[in-house]
Amino acid sequence: MILPVKYNPITFKDNKNKKSLEYNHDTLLNDGPLTRLRIGVDRLTNAFTIYPAKGLKGSKNANFYEFLTMGTVPYIVGSLTLMSVFNSANKHFAPFARNKASAFGRKMALGVLFYGLLKGVSKSLISLPVNALTGINIEHPYAKVIYELPDDINDTDITSIEHHKVFESVEFPRWDLYYGDEKKGQKKNFRYDRIAKKLGMGRNLKDSDQEVKPRIKEIVVKANLAKNISSYLWAATGVGLAFQKPWENYFRVMTFKFWKGKEFLNSLESFGENFIKSAKEFWHGEGSGAAKHSGKILLGSAAASTILGLANTLYSSHTPAKTKDLINKQDRYVVN
Amino acid sequence: MSTNLIQNFKNKPQVTQIAPAKPVPDFDIQHELNNRTFIKPLKGKGKLLSGNILYSPIDTFKNSTYTLKAFKHAASGKANDHELGKLNDLGMFAGGLAIAAYLMQKRPTSTTKGMEFVGLASFFASMAIWPKLAIQLPAYLIHGVNVQKKYEDSFGRKKPFYQDPQFIPWDLYSDKEIDKIGNRLGVPKNIPNRREFIQEKMKKLAVQNNTLWMLTAGFATPIMSALICNRTENYLRNYNNIKQNKKADLLLEDINKHSKKYDDKDLEKELSKIIQKYSGKNIDDEIVRKISDAFTYKLDPVTEEIFKADLNRLLINGEYLITDSTAHNVAENIRKQFANKSYTKEFVETVIPDEKVLTKLFEENNISRSTFSEVVGFQRIKDVINKDILKKLGAYNLAHPKNMENAGSIIPIVGRAYSMPLKEVRANILDENISNTLTKLAKSLDAFRARNYVLDEYAFIKLADSQETVAANYWHNVSNDLLKVLGMTPKQIEKVRFNEQLLAKTLRENFEKVVSNDASYKKVMNLLVEKIAQLNNEIKPSDMTAYILTDNKTITKYDKAVDTIFDKYAKELEDLGFTKTAYHIGKDEAGTYKHIQKMYVQDRLLGIKSAFYRMVNTLDFYRRVAENPNGIKTVNNMVVSREIKEELIEMCKIISLSGHSSDFATKFWMKRNPHPSKDTSPLEVENGKIKNKYFGKTSEMVNIPGDKYFYQNAMTFMYDGELHKDTKEIFAKYLGVRDEMNKYRSLVMEKLGGDRYFARPRHLIRAPQKTGSDLLFQLTGISPSELFYKAGQEAYNTGKWFKIFGTFGAGLLGVTVLAQFFLGKMKNPKQVKND
Repeated sequence: MILPVKYNPITFKDNKNKKSLEYNHDTLLNDGPLTRLRIGVDRLTNAFTIYPAKGLKGSKNANFYEFLTMGTVPYIVGSLTLMSVFNSANKHFAPFARNKASAFGRKMALGVLFYGLLKGVSKSLISLPVNALTGINIEHPYAKVIYELPDDINDTDITSIEHHKVFESVEFPRWDLYYGDEKKGQKKNFRYDRIAKKLGMGRNLKDSDQEVKPRIKEIVVKANLAKNISSYLWAATGVGLAFQKPWENYFRVMTFKFWKGKEFLNSLESFGENFIKSAKEFWHGEGSGAAKHSGKILLGSAAASTILGLANTLYSSHTPAKTKDLINKQDRYVVN
Repeated sequence: MSTNLIQNFKNKPQVTQIAPAKPVPDFDIQHELNNRTFIKPLKGKGKLLSGNILYSPIDTFKNSTYTLKAFKHAASGKANDHELGKLNDLGMFAGGLAIAAYLMQKRPTSTTKGMEFVGLASFFASMAIWPKLAIQLPAYLIHGVNVQKKYEDSFGRKKPFYQDPQFIPWDLYSDKEIDKIGNRLGVPKNIPNRREFIQEKMKKLAVQNNTLWMLTAGFATPIMSALICNRTENYLRNYNNIKQNKKADLLLEDINKHSKKYDDKDLEKELSKIIQKYSGKNIDDEIVRKISDAFTYKLDPVTEEIFKADLNRLLINGEYLITDSTAHNVAENIRKQFANKSYTKEFVETVIPDEKVLTKLFEENNISRSTFSEVVGFQRIKDVINKDILKKLGAYNLAHPKNMENAGSIIPIVGRAYSMPLKEVRANILDENISNTLTKLAKSLDAFRARNYVLDEYAFIKLADSQETVAANYWHNVSNDLLKVLGMTPKQIEKVRFNEQLLAKTLRENFEKVVSNDASYKKVMNLLVEKIAQLNNEIKPSDMTAYILTDNKTITKYDKAVDTIFDKYAKELEDLGFTKTAYHIGKDEAGTYKHIQKMYVQDRLLGIKSAFYRMVNTLDFYRRVAENPNGIKTVNNMVVSREIKEELIEMCKIISLSGHSSDFATKFWMKRNPHPSKDTSPLEVENGKIKNKYFGKTSEMVNIPGDKYFYQNAMTFMYDGELHKDTKEIFAKYLGVRDEMNKYRSLVMEKLGGDRYFARPRHLIRAPQKTGSDLLFQLTGISPSELFYKAGQEAYNTGKWFKIFGTFGAGLLGVTVLAQFFLGKMKNPKQVKND
C-alpha cells in the first residue's frame, strides 16, 4: 500500500535576492576562446570555493561533477608543492650547494610549468584537426541546469549551472542538444547534416542524425584515446625541454616583477633566447648513444602519438558507418 | 449472446474481502518498493568488492589486463566511458615513464639514474597510498565505514562505490551489513527508516572524505613521494655499491674475457680503409696525418707524441720525389712570391724561371723523376735553380744598367718558394711491408686498448674521484656515521656550516668531550677503526694497495694485470720497431704510461687512508692530552716549560684538526710568548681540556721562526711515541690496519719531518728527504675539520629538507586524520518508543 506523500511546503518565492540564472534549461554554448575562458574561470573558482565548502559539509546535493571539478585542486596545489619541494629548502644551504640545488629546483619548477602547458595545449592538436576535418567538436561545451534539493525550508536557491561537454560521455552523449530549434527557423538536423557532409556520407540525408551518431561515437572514442596518450607524451617533452642547461642562464636574470620595466624585459628576452638554445640542445642532445638521441626520441614519440592517433581517428571516419543492408531487396520475406 | 452485466451483478459470487494488513508503525515505502513482486527487473550481477587496503598483485595484474583491453577497444572506437577513464591513467603512466627515461639519460650515476624511476614509482604509489592511509583507514577505524569502497557493476567494471553521491548502488549492501555499519556509527536502533538514515550518514561521510582527499592530495602526493625518495636513495646507493663492487671484482678476475666486448677492432678497420685507399702511393703529409690520427685517437697526449715519433720513423725515410708536376708547382710558387713586389714584368719573365725553364733544368741535371734527400738533395736542387737565376740576373743587369737588381734580395725571395712544392711528395711508398707492419700494430693496439679499458673500468669503479665509486660511497657512509658518533648535532652544524674555522671550533669541543670519557672514546675510536678496516673489505689489499703504507710488498692483482698487459704490448711494439713507445708502455718508472696506470690507484688509496689515519691520530692525540699531558713525548726527552707545553698543545690541537699540507710545509706558524715562564710545573686537565696557566695571557705574542725545537716537539707530540693504550687495544683487533697506522705515522715523521723548507732550513725532525709535493699532500690527507665541514653541510641540507617537508607531511597527515572526528555529524532522528 502506498501512502500519500506528506506535503512538503517548498515555496519558490519571488524575492529580490533570488539568483538570476543565465540559463533556464540545458543550453549548447558557442565554443570560442571567450566561452572557454569563462568556463575555465568558473570551474576553477568553484573548485576552490563552493565545491569544497559543499563537500566538507557533506551536502546532499554534492555530485560527481563537483568531485571531478575539484580534481583541479590537487593538480594545481600538487604542481606548486612539487615546485616547492625542490626549491623551498635551498635558501638554507651553503652557497655552492644552494646554487646547484637551485639550478635543479628551478628546472624542475619550469618542468612542472611546461608539463601543464604542453599537456593542455597538445589536446588541441587532436581536437582542432578532428573538428576541421569531420565537423565534430569533441570539446563542444554546454551549460547544464541542475535542480537541487533545498538544504532547509528557507532555501530557495535550488538551481546551479554545471559546464559539461556534449561528448564527454561516449555512452550518453547529449544528442538532444545537437538538434536545431525549429522555432528559431533552424533545421532540426542541421548540425548532423553538416557532420554527414564532412564525413562524406552525402547531403540532404533523410535521417542524418541516425546515420552519423554511430560514426560520431567512434570518432569521439578514438579522439579521446589519442588525446589521453599524446597529451602526456607532449607533457613529458615539456619536462625534457625544461631540463636543458641553457635555462640556467635565464634563471640568473629571471624576474616576475613586471613593474621593474627594464629588468622584466631583460628577463623576457632571456627567456626567449634560452628557450631557443634549450630547444636546440634538447634536439641535438649530449654524450653518445641513447643519451644523444633521447630528446629526438621523446619528441618523436609525442609527435608520432599525435599523428597516429589522428590518423586512426580520421581513417575510420571515412569508413562507412552503416553495416551492409541485411535485407536483400530481390528476395521475398514473410513477416509473422 | 451478449453478457448481461446486471445479471452478473445480481448473481455475483461471494467474495471474501481481505482486509489490508495493518500498517506497521515504521512503514517504509522504499523497503516495500524494493521488495515488490509485481515488477521483476533483471537480477543485478553487481557486487561489493572486498580486498586488502593495498592493492594486491593479482588486482594490479587484472587492472593492467583490463587497461590493455580498453586500449584495444578504444583504438577501434568501441570503448565505453569507464574504459576511456582507464586510458587516461595509462597515458599518465606512459608520460611518467617517458620523463623518467629521458631524465635518466641526463644523470651521471646508476643511483641517480635509478632514482628517476623510484621517483616515478613513488609518485604513483603516493597517489594510491595517501587516500588509503590518510582517508580510508582512519575513516574506517573511527567510523567503521569504508569510504573508498569499490564495487563491480553488472558489466564487470570496478568503480568506487561513492563515486557519484547521487547514484549510489545501495542495493549491493544487505540490511545486515548496513545495520552493522549503523551500529558502529552509533545510530540508535529504534528510529524510523533506520537504513535510510545510516545510508545518508555513510554518504555524508563519503562526500566529506572525498572532498578532504581532493584538498589534501595536492600537498600530500609530491611530499610523500619526495620523502619516499629521500629515504630510498641510501638503500639504492648501497645496493648499487655492492653490485658495482662485485662487477669490478669480476672484471679483475678475467680481464681477457671482459675485454672482448671492448675489442671492436676499430683501429684495424680504419687502417684497412686507409691502406686500401692509399696502397702503393707515395706517402704524403695527408697519408701520414690520417694514419697517425687513426692510431693516436683515444691516446693520452704524452703517449701520442711518443707514438707519432715512432710512426714517423716508419713512414718517413727523409727522401722526396720529383714528379711531373713538381716543376709546375715550384714555378707557380716562385711567381707568387714576386706577385706583389715592385719587380717589373720584364724582370720576372726574363730572370725568374718558369715551368719550362725548370723542366729543362731538371732534365739537364738528371733531377726529373728522381728522389732526393731532405738536406743534401734539397740543397742541390736549390743550387741548380739559383745558379740559373744568377746567370740570367747578370745578363739582365747588363741589359738594364739603370734598373739593376740585387741578387742578395732576389735569392732569399726565391728560397722561400722551394720547400713546400719540393717536399710535397715523399719518396717512400705505402707498400706491403709498411702496410703489414701497420696492420700488426693496429691489431696489437686494438687488443691493448680493450684490455686497458677493462683495467680503467676496474680502477674507476673502485677508486675514481667521481660520484658513487666504491671509494666515494665508502667516504660518504663513513663521514655520515662519524658525524653521528661524534655527536655533531644538526643545531651545532646549523650554526657553523658556512665557516670551516667555526666548525673546527665546534668539532674540537666534541673531540675534547669524547676523549674525556673512557666509554665514549672507546666507542668512537672503535667505530673509526672498524670503518677503516671496512675499506680493506671493499678494496682488498691483495687487489690494490698503497705499497708505501705496508711492508708487504707482494704484487697486487691489479699491478700483476697491468704488468702482463703492458709488457705484452711493449714486446709487440719493440718487435715492430716502435722502441720509444715500447719503453713508455713497458717501463715502470716516473712518467711512463705503466707507472701512471699503477700510481693512480695507489695515490687515491693513500689519500683516502691518510685522511682516516690522520683522524685516528688526532683523536688519539687528544686522548693522550686529556689523560696525561705531562707524559707526552718530547724531542730527546727535553724538559719543556709549562708555558711552552701549553703553547705546543694548543697549536698541535689546531694543526691536527685543521692543518693543511701548507702548514706542515712551512713548519707551522704560531704567535707565542717570546719570553716564556720557566715554570715546569705539571699541566692540569679538566674535561679533556688543558687548564692553561700561561697561554693566552700574554699580550705581546710573536712568531719565533728560529725555534726549531718547537717544531720538532710539535711533530713528536703528534706523530711520534706510543699510541694511547685504549687505541692500541682497539687496533689489536684489526692487525692489518694497525700496521698501516704505524707505518703512516712513521711516514709522516720521515717525509714531512724531513721536508726542507728554505725559510726554516733547520726545522727538521728526520734526515732531509727529496719527497715530491704530491706525496706530502697525500700524507697530510684531508683535515678532519674539512671532512666534517663537507659532511656536515651535506647532512644539514638533507636534514633541513627532511625537517621542513617531513614536519609538513606529518602535520598534514595529523590534520587529515583528526578531521575525521568532525565528519559525518548528523542529528539522529527521534527514537520510536516500543510500548
